[in-house]
Amino acid sequence: MDFSGQIASLLNASAILPEAIVIVTLLLVLIIDLIFGRKSVPWLPYFAIAGLLASVIALFYGWDNPNPTSFLGSFTSDNLSIVFRGTVALSTAITILLSIAYIENTGTSLAEFVGILLTATLGGMLLCGASELVMIFVSLEMLSISSYLLTGYMKRDPRSNEAALKYLLIGAASSAIFLYGSSLLYGLSGGVTNINTITATLQAGEGLESLGLAIALVFMVAGIAFKISAVPFHQWTPDVYEGSPTPVVAFLSVGSKAAGFAIAIRLFVTAFASVTEEWHFIFTALAILSMVLGNVVALAQTSMKRMLAYSSIGQAGFVMIGLVADTQAGYSSMIFYLFIYLFMNLGAFACIILFALRTGTDKISDYAGLYQKDPLLTLGLSLCLLSLGGIPPLAGFFGKIYIFWAGWQAGLYGLVLVALITSVISIYYYIRVVKMMVVKEPYEMSDIVKKYPPVRWNMPGMRPIQVGLVFLLIATSLLGILSNPVVTIANKSVSSSLVLKASLEARINNISATEIKTVL
Amino acid sequence: MIGTALGVVLLDKIVYSAFLLAGVFLSISGLYILLNADFVAAAQILVYVGAVNVLILFAIMLVNKTENFQEVKGRWIRQIATALVCFGLFALLATMVLVTPWQLSVISPAIIENTIVTIGKHFFSDYLLPFEVLSVLLLMAMVGAIILARRDLIPTAQKTREIYTTSLTLPEKPRDLISSGK
Repeated sequence: MDFSGQIASLLNASAILPEAIVIVTLLLVLIIDLIFGRKSVPWLPYFAIAGLLASVIALFYGWDNPNPTSFLGSFTSDNLSIVFRGTVALSTAITILLSIAYIENTGTSLAEFVGILLTATLGGMLLCGASELVMIFVSLEMLSISSYLLTGYMKRDPRSNEAALKYLLIGAASSAIFLYGSSLLYGLSGGVTNINTITATLQAGEGLESLGLAIALVFMVAGIAFKISAVPFHQWTPDVYEGSPTPVVAFLSVGSKAAGFAIAIRLFVTAFASVTEEWHFIFTALAILSMVLGNVVALAQTSMKRMLAYSSIGQAGFVMIGLVADTQAGYSSMIFYLFIYLFMNLGAFACIILFALRTGTDKISDYAGLYQKDPLLTLGLSLCLLSLGGIPPLAGFFGKIYIFWAGWQAGLYGLVLVALITSVISIYYYIRVVKMMVVKEPYEMSDIVKKYPPVRWNMPGMRPIQVGLVFLLIATSLLGILSNPVVTIANKSVSSSLVLKASLEARINNISATEIKTVL
Repeated sequence: MIGTALGVVLLDKIVYSAFLLAGVFLSISGLYILLNADFVAAAQILVYVGAVNVLILFAIMLVNKTENFQEVKGRWIRQIATALVCFGLFALLATMVLVTPWQLSVISPAIIENTIVTIGKHFFSDYLLPFEVLSVLLLMAMVGAIILARRDLIPTAQKTREIYTTSLTLPEKPRDLISSGK
């Protein structure tokens, strides 16, 4: 066949090798579960983790790919996408580590859980590199549908059902809006779906004629803001976080969010390059709203998971500063912060999972006096929360400093001031939990902690959590001090990305033009 | 089409709405035919009228429960607000459609003899990756649907759980583990 032969030579299929590894792992997990049943439970999750790590290694070897465009423009495997895909894959690997004991103890089957989680990862990874509207939508749906399934995984629990239904309804509505926005874009450009070439044919028009593009922009922002749970598209977050199994929450708050940010960068910088001012404005508003609402409402929460839900909304606001800054430093600070956020947030969730497994509660007041009973858990949770709050020697501090610095450099003074104030507020509610655990006298201990079981790690499923927790703790405490290589990688990925290069250069030209004007 | 669509929203009896929805789908496929998209029109009828709508009807028939909803106080305010929002959105989109200088495709539809062949060529060239990824998505949707719908063997789950429960010294009911924070 002439047609197929011609196409096959153009595909450059090796660019999606990491995704292919994940697909093979996924299929093998399902087939092995089918053949061996429950006998495979002890080693199946490790097999999945091995697959994910292999995928990360494949990503590593794909670094500096001279020919990143593959599948005739559907997928771009440049360094920017590699960093984000690595983040998503790594977050899933750690999530699986944390979920083994949790899922086993709820009596649900582990293999399907791992399978769906792998599909969600696949969707996220493809979303990070997708550079065509159809591909973006398909991978977005893949991520969302598997997230709905994971949310409703505890099907006999009414809270889980409620969370799944809410997530499904709001998610379906938002992806419909996103699809409408992309169809407008398709129409405006005269039938082009590749976001790299779309700008060339896109006519902004003057005055009212640009209305179509503006509506397309607003609709697509709505779809993406739902994924990164930015205010005012955040209503699902607290309920979903409270009702879903905790490992799922850990994945949603890190992996799914990283994928959302990746597609936000790619889509807005390329396809909406002609309306840069407008999307900067929209994201500034979203960032301010998210930071203020997320951090202020988190103060009033009594459940740990709900508190972390609001805190993750606030953190998304911080990350958006990097997006609005739209400079080299802005993007690399985003990547750096998301990478650090992976470790500290997953660390916090690891501690919550552990506490829930041992006591069956996640009320903040039940943590009182935990220090006397379980020093490791207390240390872990304290370090991760302090790092989320941005206390100096920990990784979170350096991440925040970098983002704020990038924002300040880009001239976003108001935004950075709001971020500073809200991060002080956030320190209050993080410290409150730490104080609850550490400072309380023995007689103030909560009843739950008084009955706390003796710490034993040799139970099935507990060892992986311990390993995961210790790894995350070390990463959280050391990444800040040893941040140089990570920052270098982030910088390189941004500077080598062809997608961003054009926009950054245009911006530099603009700046120098205005500078010349002021000098004259 | 507009008549049937209004009927779907405004009629009280849900079965009527379901049948009128079929009317909406049929009219949409008519629109596709007018746009020279014969394959999409046929797929629209097969998938939406043939499968989705029949499924909706089955669901309605299986639920078959007459329930008298209480009149919500001040319902008319909500209805008017909804109508206003919908009308405003419609006005916005209609203006947008009218004022935008759409770039029309220059290829005359007469050139394309067989739309199915063209679609197939696209599926296996520039849309190959989304097409293949969709298969994984559908696989996982199927697995997920089975997980949600299958009857769980609660006794066995309980049994295996017992082992863990004793060894883990977990005092709680595991289903509540997720968030007993309420």
